[in-house]
Amino acid sequence: MKNKSDTALAAALWAQEDRLAPCVHCGFCLPACPTYVRLGDENDSPRGRLHLMRAVVEGRLAPDSQAFQTHIDRCLGCRACEPVCPSSVAYGVLLEAARESVFRARKTPFAARTLLAVFSSGVLTRWSMLLARIVRGLGFAGFAARSLPRGRTFHPVRFGLAMLEASRGRLRLEQSSDSGAAGASDYRAAGSAAPSGSVAAPSHGETPWKDGSRGRVAMLRGCVQAGLFARVNDASERVLRANGYQVVEVRGQGCCGALHTHAGDAVRARELARANVRALAAADVDFVAVNAAGCGAALKEYGHLLEADEECGEAAAALADSTRDISELIAGEAGRVGAPLPARVTYDAACHLCHAQGLREEPLMLLEAIPELVVLPLRDAEECCGGAGIYGITHAELGGEIGADKISAVVETGAEIVATGNPGCMMQIGAGLILDESDVITCHPVELLDESYRRAGFYDGR
Amino acid sequence: MADEPPSILPDPLTKELRDRLCGVVGDAWVIVDADRLLAYESDGLTAYRRTPRAVVLPKSTDEVSHVLSILSQEGIPVVPRGAGTGLSGGALADGDAVVVGTARMTSMLSLDPDNRLARVQPGMINANLTKAAEPFGLYYAPDPSSQSACTLGGNVAENSGGPHCLKYGVTTRYVTGLTVVTYDGEIVELGGFGRERGGYDLLGVFVGSEGCFGIATEIEVRLLPKPEGVRTLLAIFDRLEDAGTAVTEIMAEGLLPAALEIIDGPTIRAVEASVFAAGYPTDAEAALVVEFDGIEAGLAGDVERAVAQCSRAGAREVRTADSAEERLALWSGRKKAFGAMGQIANDLMVQDGTVPRSKLTEVLGRISEIGARYDLTIANVFHAGDGNLHPNLLFDRSNEDEVARVNRASKEIMAVCVEAGGTITGEHGVGLDKRRYMSLVHGPDELDAMRRIKWVFDPLGRMNPGKVLPDGPDDGKEAP
Repeated sequence: MKNKSDTALAAALWAQEDRLAPCVHCGFCLPACPTYVRLGDENDSPRGRLHLMRAVVEGRLAPDSQAFQTHIDRCLGCRACEPVCPSSVAYGVLLEAARESVFRARKTPFAARTLLAVFSSGVLTRWSMLLARIVRGLGFAGFAARSLPRGRTFHPVRFGLAMLEASRGRLRLEQSSDSGAAGASDYRAAGSAAPSGSVAAPSHGETPWKDGSRGRVAMLRGCVQAGLFARVNDASERVLRANGYQVVEVRGQGCCGALHTHAGDAVRARELARANVRALAAADVDFVAVNAAGCGAALKEYGHLLEADEECGEAAAALADSTRDISELIAGEAGRVGAPLPARVTYDAACHLCHAQGLREEPLMLLEAIPELVVLPLRDAEECCGGAGIYGITHAELGGEIGADKISAVVETGAEIVATGNPGCMMQIGAGLILDESDVITCHPVELLDESYRRAGFYDGR
Repeated sequence: MADEPPSILPDPLTKELRDRLCGVVGDAWVIVDADRLLAYESDGLTAYRRTPRAVVLPKSTDEVSHVLSILSQEGIPVVPRGAGTGLSGGALADGDAVVVGTARMTSMLSLDPDNRLARVQPGMINANLTKAAEPFGLYYAPDPSSQSACTLGGNVAENSGGPHCLKYGVTTRYVTGLTVVTYDGEIVELGGFGRERGGYDLLGVFVGSEGCFGIATEIEVRLLPKPEGVRTLLAIFDRLEDAGTAVTEIMAEGLLPAALEIIDGPTIRAVEASVFAAGYPTDAEAALVVEFDGIEAGLAGDVERAVAQCSRAGAREVRTADSAEERLALWSGRKKAFGAMGQIANDLMVQDGTVPRSKLTEVLGRISEIGARYDLTIANVFHAGDGNLHPNLLFDRSNEDEVARVNRASKEIMAVCVEAGGTITGEHGVGLDKRRYMSLVHGPDELDAMRRIKWVFDPLGRMNPGKVLPDGPDDGKEAP
């Protein structure tokens, strides 16, 4: 089975042979895997996929075989298998290598190819995001998504439109429109202009918060995040400043390349990473703050991605070391406490925060520090929402099933807001809620903190 | 063994047969593509690789019955498989057998808190049963170390134990009824709540039959009320023998701990390198975990007496877990020990033998001597309270000489256990790996009696062939 073309295709996996070896086949990862739990086929489990990778390395399985492609494709990349692995198998790294083999072995589907091309070019990204904002601004995306007939033919369009609609900042909109529906919280009814009665005095009023003494921070502005979630970036920046960080603008940065890495397009991923390393390393900052879990995980792994790069390798590792999720910089005792925000929220742990970055407590601490905000526990909060890039579109059925489970868990909590730290998850969960005609709002945790600060008057007189 | 060449691919099923199976379970759940069968060539014991002819994943008792009936008409043998976490190769399909997996049969069928009973499908994960019973103040007692992944069907097949079986007993004590499908698709009820007694204990015969009698498709188990209090303590020793002495003394004192577990130096270092680090000192040569549970009022006295025995045996430090989190961390380190071996070696052969508790220290010494003689690292982690040893022989499969040494050392360890008055398996089962040792503990008459019992359930030898019973006197020569 081993022939020349296979050898070239499998090169990325061969390079990771040492990382494959520690899997002792104990099977502890099986129940952690959303695809295995739902399908029951061991080929769709982390252990099974690792076994297929090993078979490729051993020359017993062709990297361009249908089986290898199907089961590697079907992985969400959520990495829930990593924290349960007693032998610390670096599944994420191995998956990327496997995806690279698959990417080289076959023609990437048109939709995915287009997406990857768009996000590798700054100009195309900006134009496509502008177009998306125009469509979103017209205000019919949600209506159209709900009106389109259910079924396979329209699914990608339907779901895509719903995702776009879900990217809108409904938090502020709902608040000012004062829908007044029964059960709507004080939070929504509180109105937008200075809610005099509910403002609490800032608890650290005397502390010179805005002096920037906690360090110089560069924000990764991202591609989708900058295009569709600019408000989250703005909120992050305000919140960072309010907590004593000096936020510096860094030009020349772009898409982090996570999408490309996950799709197996390592060549483009490295190009994008190098551009970011050059831009951000030159900025001479203490931290690089990221508010998108997927991008944060990608930046933290730049050291590995560019380990063979003589020019950028060292700077990449340094950049990875200085990367922080926004919650890491804000949460904890040093975090500033804002005004009360009487609302019920539930928190969905983005896979790339809890599994890939190991950040479980920080986002919750951030939310729990907001006075009067009730944080309701979410069943299976650490299970993937099915977002996984464009999984909901490429694997409509399975992605839909995983997504539906997340939606019912969210609705079950009785929360009015679901907070999650990744744009993909916000859109996936948001789209599911929109299509289910649910009133639950999706937002980033930092948006809630920002609102709490705004009400506390931290931004007044700026 | 590990150095055996990958098995020759068996004949694929005929299209007609495939269509019939697909008609029962659905196309997605009949796996016949040779590439997709690779994932099923090993279970938790990777030293063996056997490619099944096909894998079928049914969803209900009826589907299992139909599948087995179809396969039986074609004379095709069947190998049941749960999560594939077994450590004796029991879920590997030898020859031209088809794997029938329970991975999709994960439902809770009924939970009856009043009678403290649960009826589940066999693919339900052990830990999920306790999770479901918790709101009622109940739990499922047998807790194999793989409980976060292993299935209850597999537990029934292996009659699994776990750290707490010292006080609470193994699976068979908790199974009150089974729905079983035999090789020809017949659905048989064994036992059932209130009907366990009367006549021969067929239910008891089935539990632990390692998939050689049929497939359990519904399992009814007894649940226990959660104990009022739990105390866990950890004693650290500079010598493994001293930990063994402490175990003997604690039992001699008349105490009945819920669990008594020893983790040796190499294992401590593997666990501490993993994400499940429990805070065991890495320069120690043994960590002894002692747990007491029961009525709150009695626990303090038990703990005090156990601490005294540990100190007398030479413990350099005794810690008690103060919070539930600390207790979980202590246990997590123990329970993930097997999986954590990947931290220190690429391959391992986990052995499973039982010796009388009084011989623990002596046998451990001899195992260590065997390791030294074959120049192998052996990491021990074991249920010391009931003398169930798990020596992990570490190796690298690419080193042929080392593989051969592992095989010879394994055989010697088994012989040592038997010589000390013990046996060749405590809880992992005989499966494929241990049947070559069966004649070390059972005489020809006894083996013959076992064959005749199997015949009652499986007269044509279609269920899990090539497991447990040796084919003949030459069987031991099959593996190096």
